[in-house]
Amino acid sequence: MLDRPAPAARRKLVEVKGLKMYFPITAGILRRKVGDVKAVDDVSFDIYEGETLGLVGESGCGKSTCGRVILRLYDPTAGSIRIDGTDITETDSETLRKLRPAMQMVFQDPQASLNPRMTVAAIIGEPLDEHSRLSKAEKLNRIYELMDAVGLNRNFANRYPHEFSGGQRQRIGIARALALNPKFIVCDEPIAALDVSIQAQVVNLLEDLQDRMNLTYLFISHDLSMVRHIADRVAVMYLGRIVELAPRDALYERPMHPYTQALLSAVPEPDPEIETVRKRIILTGDVPSPANPPKGCNFCTRCPKVMDICRAVKPPFREVEPGRYTACHLYEDTTTAGRTGAPEAFTSTQQGV
Amino acid sequence: MPDGAAPVLDVKDLKTVFRTRGGEVHAVNSVSFDLRPGELLGVVGESGSGKSVTMMSLIGLLPTPPADVRGGTVMFEGIDLLNCSEAELRSVRGARIGFIFQDPMTSLNPVFTVGFQLMEPLRKHMGLGKRDARVRARELLELVGIPDAERRLDDYPHQFSGGMRQRVMIAIALACDPKVLIADEPTTALDVTIQAQILELVKDLRQKLGMAIVWITHDLGVIAGIADRVIVMYGGQIVEQAPVRELFGNPRHPYTRALLRTVPSVRGSRTAKLNVIEGQPPIQKAEPAACAFRGRCAHAMPRCAQENPQRRMVGPGHDIACFWDPGMQEWQDD
Repeated sequence: MLDRPAPAARRKLVEVKGLKMYFPITAGILRRKVGDVKAVDDVSFDIYEGETLGLVGESGCGKSTCGRVILRLYDPTAGSIRIDGTDITETDSETLRKLRPAMQMVFQDPQASLNPRMTVAAIIGEPLDEHSRLSKAEKLNRIYELMDAVGLNRNFANRYPHEFSGGQRQRIGIARALALNPKFIVCDEPIAALDVSIQAQVVNLLEDLQDRMNLTYLFISHDLSMVRHIADRVAVMYLGRIVELAPRDALYERPMHPYTQALLSAVPEPDPEIETVRKRIILTGDVPSPANPPKGCNFCTRCPKVMDICRAVKPPFREVEPGRYTACHLYEDTTTAGRTGAPEAFTSTQQGV
Repeated sequence: MPDGAAPVLDVKDLKTVFRTRGGEVHAVNSVSFDLRPGELLGVVGESGSGKSVTMMSLIGLLPTPPADVRGGTVMFEGIDLLNCSEAELRSVRGARIGFIFQDPMTSLNPVFTVGFQLMEPLRKHMGLGKRDARVRARELLELVGIPDAERRLDDYPHQFSGGMRQRVMIAIALACDPKVLIADEPTTALDVTIQAQILELVKDLRQKLGMAIVWITHDLGVIAGIADRVIVMYGGQIVEQAPVRELFGNPRHPYTRALLRTVPSVRGSRTAKLNVIEGQPPIQKAEPAACAFRGRCAHAMPRCAQENPQRRMVGPGHDIACFWDPGMQEWQDD
């Protein structure tokens, strides 16, 4: 939002360091491990309290996996995750359960993430059953409160999900995520399944709730224009790595990484006057497989500005301007060049594939 | 876009109804439009607005029942596609009218090679022999920019990436040199960088081949970049039709205006709050007797509930189905 204070003074709510999530590839009857899908490969970022961090990228870049690992829906391969000061990378399930109310998730497809055999009241009330000891009347009150908060009619509490439209179903999902007064919500493509006119309704709702309840969002999306609207800072992912992280306006006005530049330039503009004269950067080829990423920079196979060094050395993710991070050899001064060999050597020995 | 040329496709008063357990749903209500040679006609609307069903009904691709194409005429090369034999329809479908569907994974058959699927229409419609068909198939793959075409003919769909699969779909649609190409959300399932590749390809192919294209989408940005003329659909009806610059520069229907305002941009100015069209799109249980948009419209009048507005001209090539008609001053203020 335009009127929010600068994030400088704010506390870090989520700290992610060197996060890796590899899924094993197995073969043969013995299910022997023959390789890894490197869905998330060495990702680090912080999310400040009350802010929205947008996480954008194309399908298969690992953005959803990243969102899920942060909530420990998967056990990470390496790295650390701290939420609200507590390290949750290694905590056992019982302790984790106690921490769950503070961190919630809104899923992409409201059709698939709501149980069709449960009423709206039961869906929204389920987290309350699990994590609180409210009396029946208190619980019902809380359910009504939540339904009001997300703009659902109280009279529909006993209806089933199929009786609602897509936008309303997403509101049910949001109410469920809010039930336990969370601090941090991962919104995984919450508007991707909705129509344009409904998307705006849901995004406005998410913003209202954030202002009222001081929520912190990780907003995962492939819709760059919507992320520009909702996010305070934006991280761009490509093939398991964050290639650029910057405050929203800086990123959209002056993208630094060649991938961010190409991605932004590929988004069509709803204005024929601009669209007919605009020059696009057209990337050639497809995204390589995360099971076998190219050596050096992940983007070197498609990058229009590729240099020799990109095919050999993985560019470090570093701060190039205050608050702006990017992983690209173009923005490297000679003094840091010596450091770049180390992480690549480190990762290749560690993978041992 | 040659104005005044005889249209290649002329649709009049098309009506399609679905019979469901909950009663009838009127999905397409008296839709009329034409397609001129060589033009790209954009069809915009939200899901359920009837844009796909319109195109599926006019070439007989809807399962009947539950669908029932109740009326209208679709003139293509002198025959009425709604009133001709199945054999005639078959000779048109896939040959002189080609299609591209949204999801390239589900519209290609996973158990046949891409080459086989490309050669099928060539052998059926064009009567080519096996060898000639293969040569032509290779040319088509090269035309749509698939590298190493000869070898790729023997690959199966799963061996192609999403963008490459959509290129294969385009190659199949183009196989018999269609006069008309109907593309139903062809880039919706693709990532933006791949979408940009496909859009460039289509622009390029249009210049080379000169067919007329109907491009169905909900993405106004895509339409702005490629269409010559645009139809906006809502509730199974055409609510506005205009040349592309006119539509974006001077939208006249309240729905089009609202739709253009809800879409945020990656460039240009950023608003603190998104504009919203409140409410839901309607489900038409009966033939519409009133304006379908009135419940969500900021300019609804008593008349909107009493009769269904008919399309009327508001400028050259520009018509809307709406009673609301303020002076120019209010257009700017709204």
